[in-house]
Amino acid sequence: MDAEAIIQTLDSQVRCEHRTDGYWATMPDLDVRAMANLMLANDVRLVTLTAMPATSGGYRLMYHWDADGDLINIATTVATSVATIADILPAADWVEREIRDYYALEFEGRAETPTLMLRDGDEPGLFSRTCELGRDTDPAQTAHDAAATEAEEV
Amino acid sequence: MPTIPMGPFHPALEEPYKIDVVCEGEQVTDASIRVGFNFRAIEWLAERKNYTQDIALFERVCGICSNVHTLTLSRAIEQLADIEVPERAQYIRVIVAEAERLHSHLLWAGIACELIGFETLFMACWALREQVMDVLEGISGNRVNYAMNCPGGVNRDILDPGAVLAAVRAISDATAKQLIPVLTTDPTVRARCAGVGILTRAHAIAYGAVGPTARASGLPQDIRRSAPYETYGKLEFDVPTSDGCDVFARVVVRALEILESCKIIEQAIEMMPAGPFQGDTFPRVPEGETCARIEGPRGEVFYYVASDGSDIPVRVRVRTPTFANMPTARLMVIGQGLSDVGLIQASIDPCYSCTDR
Repeated sequence: MDAEAIIQTLDSQVRCEHRTDGYWATMPDLDVRAMANLMLANDVRLVTLTAMPATSGGYRLMYHWDADGDLINIATTVATSVATIADILPAADWVEREIRDYYALEFEGRAETPTLMLRDGDEPGLFSRTCELGRDTDPAQTAHDAAATEAEEV
Repeated sequence: MPTIPMGPFHPALEEPYKIDVVCEGEQVTDASIRVGFNFRAIEWLAERKNYTQDIALFERVCGICSNVHTLTLSRAIEQLADIEVPERAQYIRVIVAEAERLHSHLLWAGIACELIGFETLFMACWALREQVMDVLEGISGNRVNYAMNCPGGVNRDILDPGAVLAAVRAISDATAKQLIPVLTTDPTVRARCAGVGILTRAHAIAYGAVGPTARASGLPQDIRRSAPYETYGKLEFDVPTSDGCDVFARVVVRALEILESCKIIEQAIEMMPAGPFQGDTFPRVPEGETCARIEGPRGEVFYYVASDGSDIPVRVRVRTPTFANMPTARLMVIGQGLSDVGLIQASIDPCYSCTDR
């Protein structure tokens, strides 16, 4: 099954854009688990997931796949949680944990979601929390403040 | 059953990470991997710096394959801004990328030999690697962060292609006549590597393994071949694969890739046309989003870049090869002897600086 057929199988009505950097489709009602099963059945490799704050609120979540060299990018919008696909495709395990670290996005159905980049006990949502401070925030200063706060708490 | 913690700082590990190994006697029954010790929030930093600053920032994602990160980011910016890169610059990018693959593979081969217990071969590999480092230094003036790539081209021309050609031919000759025969036929290497650290083809797909790790499990995936970029589509090269699925297969695949990289550099030097090697000005990046991928020494490097039309990206997402490959180490060590854990994890050629970003 080629990239276009895979996208049409997921949503026959969706507009699929074929560009030099791959196939792009947005599916607001994406069934991520059905997608993962379809990809696994067709030997399509999960490249990674990208999360970023959506302009309309919530998060834009993109699943990037490789089908025999063709890059497939399927985007959806989620509020605070989405079903996990890590039990279907172990390739998603670390990515889901990392996204929770950065944006506090929960992946439902996981037995546990340990931190990946953060330390045990750190509050998830590092990026979304610090994004609220604005782009002009000095990252070094923010880190120093966090370290100072932590030292005070100790 | 006892759990043996290895790391985050351990003589068998090249960089800080932690692997907790559950053992029954000397046999590993399970393992868990912990990363994040080098976490620098580079993606977060990228959203607060302009594209020029981001090129320098992403060069520091990795100390071994720094060039692949600036190349992938530059390509993403070029795609967004619809910039055409001069052909000479594309060839220079290929030459530097393959020289980086040579130095990375030779560095890895040396470490693997040291872990196998073959000190002489370790020294031989690193002596060869030193010649590659001289090539990279001769081209860029640097031995680690080459600062070669910029959106629209490269920062420096190759002024003495003859010297690069001579060095690469010498490396190719030594690899073919010395390194590969020893690595593939020596009983010590075979005894330590054959049948050790199995990653099946099915597991490689499900875990999303990339690069030599995937190719040594029978997957012929290589972005240079499946989605050619720069001038790779004009160059002849093979993509070595193996159905061995073990540490030995990973050794052989990487060793053969050294020869292929030499072949690519030789062709690129001979085919490289005269002409400009960079654009006139730094491009204005319009609103949009794109993905860029290249085949780094350890496998596919993936970047997603979103722009709102300003000079600062809205989002830069990086997926490094080790991030994809490292979870497979758990599968590889289960059922193996405790003494093989160091070699098995090294067989992925892991880079935690990349992984943690």
